[in-house]
Amino acid sequence: MSNHFSELESAWKQDKKNIKSSSTALDAVYEKIQTNKKESFFFYYGTIVILTITLLVISSFFYFVAPVEKLLSRIGIGLMLVGLLVRIVIEIVSIVKSKRVHILDSSLETVNNTIAFHTFRKNVHGIVTPIIIAFYTVGFYLITPEFLLYLPVWNVVLYDISYIVIAVVLFIQIRKGVLKEMKIVHETVELKKSLLQEG
Amino acid sequence: MVLQMCLGFVKGDYDKARDLSQEVFIKVWIHLDSFKGISSYKTWIYRITVNTCLQLIRKKKKNVTLPIETIALSFTEESKNDTSEASNRLYKAIGQLNELDRLLIMMVLEGQEYDDIADVLGIQPTNVRVKIHRIKKRLKNILNHE
Repeated sequence: MSNHFSELESAWKQDKKNIKSSSTALDAVYEKIQTNKKESFFFYYGTIVILTITLLVISSFFYFVAPVEKLLSRIGIGLMLVGLLVRIVIEIVSIVKSKRVHILDSSLETVNNTIAFHTFRKNVHGIVTPIIIAFYTVGFYLITPEFLLYLPVWNVVLYDISYIVIAVVLFIQIRKGVLKEMKIVHETVELKKSLLQEG
Repeated sequence: MVLQMCLGFVKGDYDKARDLSQEVFIKVWIHLDSFKGISSYKTWIYRITVNTCLQLIRKKKKNVTLPIETIALSFTEESKNDTSEASNRLYKAIGQLNELDRLLIMMVLEGQEYDDIADVLGIQPTNVRVKIHRIKKRLKNILNHE
């Protein structure tokens, strides 16, 4: 066994001599650092920015453009806005949790934090997001009766049907998200098992 | 040391190894201020390298996996024409281990102490010892069956 391993050791040392570093490699690293800075900003804050803009647009629309008068409609708008707000808070919590997966920790700690983060994401996709969407949907349909007072029926029907299409797309996206997170959790748990396995 | 470990991890695919080592250096650069000198700078860099490689597993599984012979061949032709047969044999053998074992044995080949390896992985040194013994046995089988 030691002969085979010595052979590998000398091949490893020999190969080390063949690997040369170059200044172009350093330039590439520097360039990538700059790109990464921009990408990581959008990765972390992109969703929050989009959700906040949506929240502001919807609030402004119902405040300035189409202020509703019926209590039912106001409750509807409230549900929609609360749903969006909760989603924004979840995104912020998600960022905090993702930053706990620290590259400087030991592999076992990193693996544990990765499992915790993706389990959280899985629960968000599988439980919290559907509740938020249900809030949003109920809110949306609560406004419909008041819309009937000002808009032609066919317009409101079209408006309601379009929402169903969006709901189907959302359902597919959520399902994909849950499956993705479950896969990551499963793979990371396997990695943890092999780390802790005695020999 | 980083590029070579990355090479071993991605079974000798030079392009992937270069990208991976870039990732490692970016993380080293970003976290440079966090280095407190508790462990040696080498152990610190190994920690970043190992974690970056392990994070790659998920990303890598989304890609199509090429057979080891194809990768070894492309490695020889495109990237390192002066690579010896022993070197190809080395990456081919290491490439047949699972991802974690690959990293472990490469740290041994790099001359890291078992305690340092245990520190990087966050497991007991005795466990490292047992694992390495098992990996060496597996490597022996691989080399014998070539």
